[in-house]
Amino acid sequence: MPTDRVRISRRGWFLVVAVIIALLPFVIQDSYWRTNLIVCAINIMLAIGLDLLVMKLGVPFWMAFVFGMVLSGAAGMALSIFAVRLRGHYLAIASLGFAVIVHQVLLNWISLTQGPLGIYAIKPPPDIALPGLPVISFGNTANMFYLVASFAFLFYLLLDQLVRSPIGETLKAIREDEISASAFGINCTAWKVFAFGIGSAVAGAAGAFYASFVGTLVPDAFIITESFTILAMVIVGGMGTLIGPVWGAILLTILPELLRGFGDLRLILYGAALTLVVLFMPGGIAQAAQMFRARLGRLATATDAGMRQ
Amino acid sequence: MRKHSAILFGVAASVALFAAANAAQAQDKVIRIGGLFAMSGPGSYFGVQDKQGIELAIEQLNKTGVNGYRFEVQYEDSACSPLPATQAAKRLLEQYKPDVVLGEECSDATLAIMPLMEQAKVPLLNAGSSSIKVTDPGNPWTFRIMPNEVMQGVDIATNAYKRLNARTAVLLYENTNAGIGNAKVFGDTFKSLGGQILADIGFGRDVNDFTAIATRIAGLGKVDVIPTYTLEGQGLRITQALAQAGVTKGGGGQSIQLGTIWLPFGFEQKAGKAALGYVRIVQFDPTDKRDVVQNFIRSFKAKYNQEPTHINAHAFDQILVVADVIRRGGKDSQSIRDIMATTKDFSGVTGSVEFDKTNQNTKMDTIHYMETLPDLSWKALGWN
Amino acid sequence: MLTVVLQQGINGIVFGSLYVLVALGLTLIYGVLVQINFAHADVVTIGAFAAYFFTFAFGGNYLISIGIALMAGAALGWLVNAAIFAPLRERGNELLPLIATIGVSILLQNAMLLWFGPIPYAFDSPYSNKVIRLWGGTFITLQNLIIVVVSALTIALLYAFMKFTFMGKALRAVSQDRETAGLMGVNPNQLIMLTFVIASALAGMGGAMLGPILVLTPFAGTTVIVKAFAIVIIGGFGNVEGTIIAGLVVGLIESYTTQFVNPGLTDIVVFTLLLLMLALRPTGLIAEKREENV
Repeated sequence: MPTDRVRISRRGWFLVVAVIIALLPFVIQDSYWRTNLIVCAINIMLAIGLDLLVMKLGVPFWMAFVFGMVLSGAAGMALSIFAVRLRGHYLAIASLGFAVIVHQVLLNWISLTQGPLGIYAIKPPPDIALPGLPVISFGNTANMFYLVASFAFLFYLLLDQLVRSPIGETLKAIREDEISASAFGINCTAWKVFAFGIGSAVAGAAGAFYASFVGTLVPDAFIITESFTILAMVIVGGMGTLIGPVWGAILLTILPELLRGFGDLRLILYGAALTLVVLFMPGGIAQAAQMFRARLGRLATATDAGMRQ
Repeated sequence: MRKHSAILFGVAASVALFAAANAAQAQDKVIRIGGLFAMSGPGSYFGVQDKQGIELAIEQLNKTGVNGYRFEVQYEDSACSPLPATQAAKRLLEQYKPDVVLGEECSDATLAIMPLMEQAKVPLLNAGSSSIKVTDPGNPWTFRIMPNEVMQGVDIATNAYKRLNARTAVLLYENTNAGIGNAKVFGDTFKSLGGQILADIGFGRDVNDFTAIATRIAGLGKVDVIPTYTLEGQGLRITQALAQAGVTKGGGGQSIQLGTIWLPFGFEQKAGKAALGYVRIVQFDPTDKRDVVQNFIRSFKAKYNQEPTHINAHAFDQILVVADVIRRGGKDSQSIRDIMATTKDFSGVTGSVEFDKTNQNTKMDTIHYMETLPDLSWKALGWN
Repeated sequence: MLTVVLQQGINGIVFGSLYVLVALGLTLIYGVLVQINFAHADVVTIGAFAAYFFTFAFGGNYLISIGIALMAGAALGWLVNAAIFAPLRERGNELLPLIATIGVSILLQNAMLLWFGPIPYAFDSPYSNKVIRLWGGTFITLQNLIIVVVSALTIALLYAFMKFTFMGKALRAVSQDRETAGLMGVNPNQLIMLTFVIASALAGMGGAMLGPILVLTPFAGTTVIVKAFAIVIIGGFGNVEGTIIAGLVVGLIESYTTQFVNPGLTDIVVFTLLLLMLALRPTGLIAEKREENV
């Protein structure tokens, strides 16, 4: 677990992030960048939810992504009963398989999803009319940003509390060594199902925001490459820390936009950047930052970054 | 048209001279055009060809200017898919502030862009999305110059039944808004005329192996026509597989494949002898003798050293429609929308344009039927 | 009806043998490294383009172009291992190389998009239109016959290599038990490099033979790789025989689903089979060493 020193600076980070989130829409008047901020916030939620699954239980991305997006929490728990028996790449590919099946079902279940015809003109969340204040409309990107960002922040706080609580310790124990955990009387399966449910519910929330923000829903919106991007956010940010996915989501959402100036080279550079980050910062941004701080504060504790091994 | 051009040329030549002398002042009179096209991803072959057509038209118009205006264009990559299209549209609207926007080709992306354009009150001119939903029930800010899926589907099904004497058909289509919609209209029309649909086969864009589909069709007995709705890549493989299985004329069979404007030119050359007998709608007819067509082909070849495709042509026409509006007094988003809605007797490379209440082009002369001959050249069928 | 059933069987075997070539590479790499190379799809695409340009731009023979694609694939495999997998091998996190190769994949696809453009290439083998009539009204094109024969020969050669050569035996030994193999004096670095080169050569070759079948764009490989993942799981990760059988089975499932159900449902059938396999014998499919490594 993190040292006290790091924990304090984490709380500091909460404040900083909260203030930045609150101020950004004032700084950035351009609604295009506000749009990006919203996507950013959505991705932060997805990445945090995924991080919980991937890091706390060693469960990989496709499954987490699909659960959250499509069936959200309840479905996540239902499927996890089957999934807890698998590990590692098997689980990854099983999740991929599940993703493909869900995608195909969405595509073919036309009476429910309109299939490939898609659902268009989905309304933003309803306006809020508080007495004495102007009506808050979420058709406005700044308001939408506040809404999504505050939910992202809320989920961050809740999950942060969860991870520090005895429940978090239990989950960690299961991840580290399932056999020993069982020996201590922990019901591994039940806890895994629980973690699946929580992670998927968060992702499901993000899915709801996605639909109302983009306004269009087609099964192809959640193709497999999307789930890779979300996983990449977790890895690039730093696995095992809750703040890592936040950085990863911000970086990988903003980066392709910043690279627009490069025209045709944009995605080539993006791919190269992603590869280089993994090669040279295998612990992700969070660990790199921590090491930097540790070096500054002569705290030789790079090990608690929660690398899997 | 020609008279207009001559006058325009004279006027604009002096404008151009003046502009050269006073560049700063001329800068003010610019119509800003946004282009939302797929530049990345599997749909990006549209974007590449749209860009060629647009660049050519703008280069020609800017030599003289139109009504004292120059044209400027900024592209954003909408990637043929709703989320990137939404982001690209917002970016374009915020940062470039276009007077008018062209795009998208893919119906899914166009449908996602439309509400944003309406909100920003910027007209959207579409040339490639066939889904009926683009103009039905109609959006005051969205215009479409190409015949929609209903117009194309009814027409081609009627022609198949009456002119080709087809009584049995197999529907082949990709599972997208446009694919499903087109196939459904064909099937409904064909059945109401008394024809029979033997199989209804939809598939995803990721299907590679069409041998199995061709084998299935070969097992159905006598199939007169096979209306096919796919993009170029899958279309090539389907045509080849059908010929190998001996279904179509290209493989010694009886069936005739029917297609719409989805396929670009050069398709026959790529598919080879398998394409023999393919009857399809193209959005412009290179054998059309009108000046606007022949000039377009000549200047396109001169600039790019290749034959223009219908995608090049309808992109070129999009700019011509905008130029026509500017010539008739359009100067900002609102006036461009209002004047565009009154477009009448416009004659471009693909055909003529006149919008109805839903801003759908009512003219059917952008539909040209072609039949592929044994030497892979075309015969214009003159069905319209 | 019998004709159709036989014909769909032939179709399934043709596509299945291509799936086997691609999936074998994934299986080999997994067996030795317990890693997934996501850029494997792009090796397939690059193989297809290498064969295309050799045949059409330089007027080369199609059969030789398969060899060219093989070499292009091998070279790329060498590069991916040297640049990505070797440096990350000691980091211990199985997801790092996966993410890094996703980056490589994005880079390669968009570089190809820049060089080759997005318009599908018409890669026609000179053998595509030569139809050989078989028994009972069925047929196979010469191109498809070449695919089946070349794949079968390659798989047989690979088998012989793994059975009878020292390196091949070492490779199998490492797949079965890494620690012990290391103790027996096998140089793991050399062996991993060899695995990557062989795996990618197979993928490149598969690309050259897929080129005339699939829609050749810079994204062509990704449509095949998803199936290859399923095949690797159904066959059992790291299990060569299982992969061969699973590849052919998936090919057959696809053609029979297309015939009797709907081509839109092939993926559902294939991936339901995958989940069924995992549900019926999950522990049996998981290598024991995974438990120690996670």
